[in-house]
Amino acid sequence: MTRPGPHSRIRPAGTIQAVAFVAVVAVLPLVTGQHWLVSLLVFTVMYAGLASAWNLLGGYAGYPALGHGAFFGVGAYAMAIGTSHLGVGGGYRPFVLIVPIAVGTALVVLPIARLLLRTRAAAFAVLSITLMFMVQTLAYNIRSLTGGSSGLIVPLAPFPAATFERPFYYAMAALLALTLAVCWVVRTSKLGLALNAVRDDEDRARGLGVQTELVKLVAFAVSAGLTAAFGAVWAYYISFLYPGFAIDPLLALGAILMAFLGGRRTLWGPVVGAALIGPAQQYFAYRFGASQLYLVAYAALFLLVIYLLPEGIVPSLARRLRRLRRASPAAATHDQVATDSIFSAGDLG
Amino acid sequence: MVSNVARSGWAALACLAAALSLAACSTSAANSSAGSKTASGPPLVIGVSMSLSGDFATLANPALKGYKLWASTVNAKGGLLGRKVSLKIVDDASNPTQVVTNYENLITADHVNLVFGPFSSLLTVPAATIAKRFGYAFIEPSGGAPQVFALHLHNLFLAQPAPIVSSGDAFANYILSLPTAQRPRTAAYPSADDPFTQAIVGEIRQRLQAAGIKTVYSTTYAAETVDLSPVVTRLVAAKPDLLVSGTGGADAVAEVKGMVQAHFTPKFVFFTGGPNDPTFPAQVGPANAEGIFSTGDWFPQAKTAGNAAFEKAYVAKYGGTAAKIDPAAAEAFACGQLLELVAHRYGKVDNATIISALHHGTWPTVEGNLSWNADGSPRGSDIVVQWVHGQLLPVYPSAQALTKPIAKPAWAG
Amino acid sequence: MHLFVQATIVGILFGGVYALIASGQAIIFGVTRTVNFAQAIFTILCAYLSYTLFTDFGIDPFLSILVLVPAMFAFGIGIYVLLLRRLSRSGAELGLLVLYGLGIGIQGVLDFVYKTNTQVITPSYANNSWTVAGYQIPEVRFFAFLLAVAVLGTLQLIRQRTKLGRALRATTQNPVASRLLGVDVERISAIGMGLGVAAAGAAGGVFGMILPFNGNTQYDLLSKLLSIAVLGGLLSMPGTIVAAVILGVVESVVAATISPDWSAFSFLVVLFAVLIIRPQGLFGRRLRGAL
Repeated sequence: MTRPGPHSRIRPAGTIQAVAFVAVVAVLPLVTGQHWLVSLLVFTVMYAGLASAWNLLGGYAGYPALGHGAFFGVGAYAMAIGTSHLGVGGGYRPFVLIVPIAVGTALVVLPIARLLLRTRAAAFAVLSITLMFMVQTLAYNIRSLTGGSSGLIVPLAPFPAATFERPFYYAMAALLALTLAVCWVVRTSKLGLALNAVRDDEDRARGLGVQTELVKLVAFAVSAGLTAAFGAVWAYYISFLYPGFAIDPLLALGAILMAFLGGRRTLWGPVVGAALIGPAQQYFAYRFGASQLYLVAYAALFLLVIYLLPEGIVPSLARRLRRLRRASPAAATHDQVATDSIFSAGDLG
Repeated sequence: MVSNVARSGWAALACLAAALSLAACSTSAANSSAGSKTASGPPLVIGVSMSLSGDFATLANPALKGYKLWASTVNAKGGLLGRKVSLKIVDDASNPTQVVTNYENLITADHVNLVFGPFSSLLTVPAATIAKRFGYAFIEPSGGAPQVFALHLHNLFLAQPAPIVSSGDAFANYILSLPTAQRPRTAAYPSADDPFTQAIVGEIRQRLQAAGIKTVYSTTYAAETVDLSPVVTRLVAAKPDLLVSGTGGADAVAEVKGMVQAHFTPKFVFFTGGPNDPTFPAQVGPANAEGIFSTGDWFPQAKTAGNAAFEKAYVAKYGGTAAKIDPAAAEAFACGQLLELVAHRYGKVDNATIISALHHGTWPTVEGNLSWNADGSPRGSDIVVQWVHGQLLPVYPSAQALTKPIAKPAWAG
Repeated sequence: MHLFVQATIVGILFGGVYALIASGQAIIFGVTRTVNFAQAIFTILCAYLSYTLFTDFGIDPFLSILVLVPAMFAFGIGIYVLLLRRLSRSGAELGLLVLYGLGIGIQGVLDFVYKTNTQVITPSYANNSWTVAGYQIPEVRFFAFLLAVAVLGTLQLIRQRTKLGRALRATTQNPVASRLLGVDVERISAIGMGLGVAAAGAAGGVFGMILPFNGNTQYDLLSKLLSIAVLGGLLSMPGTIVAAVILGVVESVVAATISPDWSAFSFLVVLFAVLIIRPQGLFGRRLRGAL
């Protein structure tokens, strides 16, 4: 794994990668006319984005956030309410709402983030998921706004049935590109270094003059805002919201699983994880419908990843490649292998 | 370090490329299977998403039986227009997100010929919009809440005699038909937060309040609320003459148990859902079911089209007696009957034909003679039913009643 | 007023059950520094097992505790040995994720076996209640409360009066020092985990008699257990018990006087209010970096 830092610059290889990535993502839905496959791609790209957004707070800053379902749900309900109550109109116009929803969520979340970030480690994990339960309860109870457990209809998008999924796919893909760009900027800026310091030893970082409070807040708010943006697109796509599923405890777990599998704190890790798990997850849901076996498979995969591949695919792969190269005398310079603990260990007691 | 980052980026690309090729392969495979469908005499595949698990699983089971019974009945008669009927049933785990996925896939991946609706209004709303997008007719057995018809879908038809709001009307009519001295003076209206229950309870409450019956307690609880003891505590404290409760099943049982525990018997007890389940007396204790009201669209002795044959076939296939048939089974069976009628009258059962056909005329089924307005809301009315001497019988309006309503005895508890 | 007192009685009685489950969680946190995100599903698991023992074999849920408690004790030790022990060096949050994942897997298995239909255990006395001075006291809740008091009392005796208890408390306070003093920290942690999971085992049957449950109920219960843990200060047994009873009462009173919809929310509000004023929880010692 590589440490983020201001010394990273735009490299030719990186540029080619980015261009190739965008090209592949852009072409994918055009290859198949199968609705269920495009739909599968929509969810996969969404999860790649969600896992990358989670990575900002859960990976780089090392705060074990379990409640991102709350922000996703806030974005989803904001979209539904915006389209049905505020009269934004149909067609492509609801996509305009994504920007105010993302920014608004990031701002609204600030005071809550301040409160939550007073705690760390296990307590933070508990409070973040408790926040999610709170938001879920609100969604059930504020019926005039959310429809409660009768659900809320988002006006059905008037796109032609043959290419219905495409606008949603490209909206998700654009958000994924934005999220990756944000992650890249964070990694290559001082913010990344500061988050790194927070993760390693927050008290010492503060002692050394790092503005820990500020950088944590920024990571939290940006992560939440991006998550809400994905929720907004999802709401328009799925066109029916129900509190228990729009604000889902399993959402954060899915994002975490993908980030772990691909490699936390790497730029591409969450994308790799999502590309592997996302399609499998959707396919299971299609073919086996019921959630039971899917839950078991999910849990088993989760435990396997944690015990057998604790660093994730990208770092493991990188290390193996490095070892190969070490045989050739070219590059053995940087060997900062990320064997540091999962999140930041030793914060407790 | 540069090379490491580069490699990991390429790994991500490789994954995407793999996904791409998977997509390409599946496309070609699906095309070939779609091609074979035009061959002569293929089965007529009807896709249904059912709540085989989750909160509605128990309630939805009779509907599943009704669908299966219709399929086996029609196949025994040589199928529909010479084609064998085959049901493709997938589980939605009572989850409105899953139901969307399911209908999308039934239509676009499995290329089913027709679809029938899922169980409950909550699932019908999202499912119907998917059917609409792909131009499928959406005959559905149980989504009768106002939200369903508020979608203004031209392709939707509820296979029941009346929308749910009218169930409330039937009971309100009964209460208001009583002489003033016998009428309840106070009423309590606890309801689950569910489109089905709230529609009925809201209607009754509005009409009884207007007639001067005082509301002493009213609340909604989340449909998932499992601990109903606070509701019962309040209910008992309010001592209403009439209890009108918007329940789905388990909560009706819990309320009865709570009132039995508290030794409190209202003069009239009405549940929107629960009592019409044949196992209700077993769940609350046989004596405790006595005198409880509900509404129904179907009852075992009904003289509707094909009902005798339906009951006979049901008992032959699943055992038990006609009295143990849940109305949800009749509703699902009626969906199939409608298809048969369309096939019979028009000689084809494609989606466009079904949609245009059902918007005209009257269609006799086990659920009665059905006809719909432009939004798929049926034009008939419901009946009030009551547990009388261990049987659930229609008691009002008197034209359809098999017996007179009885006074609620005190709980046996 | 009558309503308020009635709701308080019901709330205190059920608060005892929460206390029982949450204490198990506190013991586990003490020895492993891992918040047991699977404590709720363990309770549901035992509710299902009691259900099966009752419906298929006619064993009363209060009797099935005699089977379930030792079984869950062994289960807890197994989880520690197989899953948590390996993680001890790499951080407590990973343990939390492992247990969360395990809980979801168990839910999947339960959903598969029991078909996610809502169940409730109904022995013959399920609907009985006594009337004392005009107040209803449901028998099941009363016995559940007695059970909770008995089990919590026993746990407290073990913790205060036995060598094992001293080792448990020492490990909870300072694992490193305990090791230096010759305590077999791994063994004690395994036993602590076993005791904590066994507490869920003791509560499962009564939980299943009082509330209808299915696999998904775990989230509802989990959110309450986590709130209790934070409010009670994660480690403190008295704190946990007081927080649990407060939860039971707040929930019941709000449900009866305002609306059942807001009962869960009101407790979360209390939780966040307390955190603003006292970030270490009501009873928590300030842990470095924890709260």
